[in-house]
Amino acid sequence: MDWLEQELAMALARKEPAAGFDGRVRARLHRRPRWLAIAATIIVMIGAGEAWRQHQGQLAKEQVMTAMRITGSKLNRVQMQLKGTEQ
Amino acid sequence: MRPILTLALGAALAATLWAQQFKFNLDHLVSKASDSFDVSLNTSMLQFAGKFLDGKDPDEARVKKLIVGIQGIYIQSFEFKKDGAYAPADLEKVRNQLKAPDWSRIVGIKSGGESENIEVWVRNEKGKVTGVAILASEPRQLTVANLVGNVDLESLSDLGGHFGLPNLPKVPKKK
Amino acid sequence: MIGLTAVRQALDFGELMREHRAMVFSVAWHFLHDRDLAEETAQDVFLSLHKNLAGIETPAHAGHWLRKVAVQRSIDAARKRSRRPQVALEDVAEPSVRPAAGDPMLGGMLRRLIATLPETPRMAMILRYQEDLDPAEIAATMGIPLGTVKSHIQRSLALLREKLERRGVGER
Repeated sequence: MDWLEQELAMALARKEPAAGFDGRVRARLHRRPRWLAIAATIIVMIGAGEAWRQHQGQLAKEQVMTAMRITGSKLNRVQMQLKGTEQ
Repeated sequence: MRPILTLALGAALAATLWAQQFKFNLDHLVSKASDSFDVSLNTSMLQFAGKFLDGKDPDEARVKKLIVGIQGIYIQSFEFKKDGAYAPADLEKVRNQLKAPDWSRIVGIKSGGESENIEVWVRNEKGKVTGVAILASEPRQLTVANLVGNVDLESLSDLGGHFGLPNLPKVPKKK
Repeated sequence: MIGLTAVRQALDFGELMREHRAMVFSVAWHFLHDRDLAEETAQDVFLSLHKNLAGIETPAHAGHWLRKVAVQRSIDAARKRSRRPQVALEDVAEPSVRPAAGDPMLGGMLRRLIATLPETPRMAMILRYQEDLDPAEIAATMGIPLGTVKSHIQRSLALLREKLERRGVGER
């Protein structure tokens, strides 16, 4: 090795990273990866979407039942009246 | 009855007007009513609602079966605190549309000294019932309903037997 | 088989990190010339090791594996970086006082000059002089032909000598 190569070996000697490096790596190990956080968000959104769908479905069902009750009650009045007439 | 319940169907409301078999827009009575019910359920909404009807519940099971043949349900119903909140002309506008050839009034009753009036109309196309209209009025109550589709009058008769109601005798089909 | 299992069981992630973090970090730092980016890259390398630990057979294998991944990740990080490497050759100022051999100033200048080299020769030089790898080992680590490695090192040394001489820095 000539002088330049010796200087290069000294200049490029290994250096330790800043103190606490190991801890920072371990902290990232225990952190959820971004894709997992995104996946979790999507799952929550789908869950919320499904909850909304359920809510809308229940609302629609109640509308139908009420509509049937209203029409049913009117028809019942007709029926009662017809029975009274027949008698 | 609950206060105004209008399904948030967005554009569906405008879109369903053509699916209603006769026009009725009694929105101007909403502000006068103490209670009102306003629903427009087209085919897709009925199918959607049908998925949530519990087959194990007797009432819901019957309704689930009934709505199979129904393509739309359009109802506006009001309760008022005072007599005279709505004008006879409001109902007459609706009734005039039912004077079209394809509509027939199959039954009409008056009671309580003519204070209660209920009319049932059916729409006939090629021998099949394709719609039912109910006009019901009392001094403090007004209901207009249109059930669209191949409505089975027998099923409607069944419906009268539930929700605590006795069975409706079969009404002969008008030819 | 039993021996291999025993060796595998001896591969402790923490120990591997302690043993090799300077190597990994230095490869990234000398290549990227950016301490923060080098730290992030080094962390990525060890996270990758953790994920792939089951596939590492011996401590020596771990060392080779880490070096290779450090090289790859450093090159990737440099490419992702929006700006060119920090140091342009013209930014490497001439020292007011001629640095002597072993002078830290000379070390700094050399590191900055290395940072101005194109990617492949730069990494080859780092592996040669930081890791003391021979050209065949460098070729295997970088996945490039042996001849390419040799010519990169020769040309880089020649270039560095020329730059240093222009700045009045040379062998005493």
